[in-house]
Amino acid sequence: MKNKYMALVEQAVTRTDLPAYDVGDNVDIHQRILEGQKERVQIFSGTIIARKGAKGREMITVRRLVQGEGIERVFPVNSPRIAKIEVKRSGQTRRAKLYYLRDRVGKATKLREKEAKPTGPTKSKKKPAEA
Amino acid sequence: MPLGLIGVKVGMTQVFDDEQKSAPVTVLQLGPCPVLQVRTMEKDGYCALQLGYGDKKRSRANRAEQGHVASKLESKRKKLRKAAGIEPAPKADCEPQKHIREVRLDAATDHTVGQVLKVSDVFGDVKFVDVIGTTKGRGFAGVIKRHNYGGLRHTHGVKKGWRQRGSSSSNASNRGSGRPKKGIRMAGRYGAERVTVRNLTVIKVDLENNLLLVKGAIPGRNGGLIMVRPTNKK
Repeated sequence: MKNKYMALVEQAVTRTDLPAYDVGDNVDIHQRILEGQKERVQIFSGTIIARKGAKGREMITVRRLVQGEGIERVFPVNSPRIAKIEVKRSGQTRRAKLYYLRDRVGKATKLREKEAKPTGPTKSKKKPAEA
Repeated sequence: MPLGLIGVKVGMTQVFDDEQKSAPVTVLQLGPCPVLQVRTMEKDGYCALQLGYGDKKRSRANRAEQGHVASKLESKRKKLRKAAGIEPAPKADCEPQKHIREVRLDAATDHTVGQVLKVSDVFGDVKFVDVIGTTKGRGFAGVIKRHNYGGLRHTHGVKKGWRQRGSSSSNASNRGSGRPKKGIRMAGRYGAERVTVRNLTVIKVDLENNLLLVKGAIPGRNGGLIMVRPTNKK
């Protein structure tokens, strides 16, 4: 059993304003970057290939291709420096870590789009907070 | 020494500090600690507060533990002392305590027996603390673990002794005494000893839940008893 004080601390760190995302999703990560005095937002868009850690410690690995070269960045999703996460597309996956995408090029890196389940109660996705 | 509190190491996690950087923190749960006794210069020769931490079931506590906190508990000795005109010592009148520790002080304070100390009383605006704990016991440990020896080579003719120390000394370095120098570091019991980690940064103080978040690791297992005081190093 997790200690209740630990749960309190971790709950305070965990952000609730993020949309539901999963491995295989195509996302835009809006990151606040400090340049001297000025703050600007940089967007990194790619596919989530891994989720690691739980609650306030969660990290996601996002992979994108730039001129044929694969680039991966790991984001602490609960960081206050992350302004926003936008889910563009949801990909159909059969595993939790998509490291096999690293060995693929071109069209083979594309994931099949997740089909909405026709009937029954679907997994409720948290709505992103209005901002 | 500044007044501290007794508590428990809850565990480690990660939070984001004021600069929005992630920080490894240890969560400490401190107090509330009732003052059980006040040691004074006149009576005891030193200044200190005896603090308790954690309530114990009355049925689990022995008579001495109950009598230490309860003023109403009668005993033959108490009656005799009363008859002789000796005033009984003040008692905190709280539940029997699981842990009792003394916190040394430089000078007398106006704390009274029965007062309950919380994080807000001691750590309201403290930036750096010292944490005293008991390290995990390692049992009988070899020189590599205990003294950070490098060990021997795994090849080049070393025979089944990679984790041993090398030579302890020579006859010449011992000045021909025929026995090794005193204080040669060898294998033996390691851990389960009192360690003070000084000058840890306080990341956050939760007055409501009596929590303290300090940056970095502290000795002991999760749930282990600790003492925390504002540091005098800064």
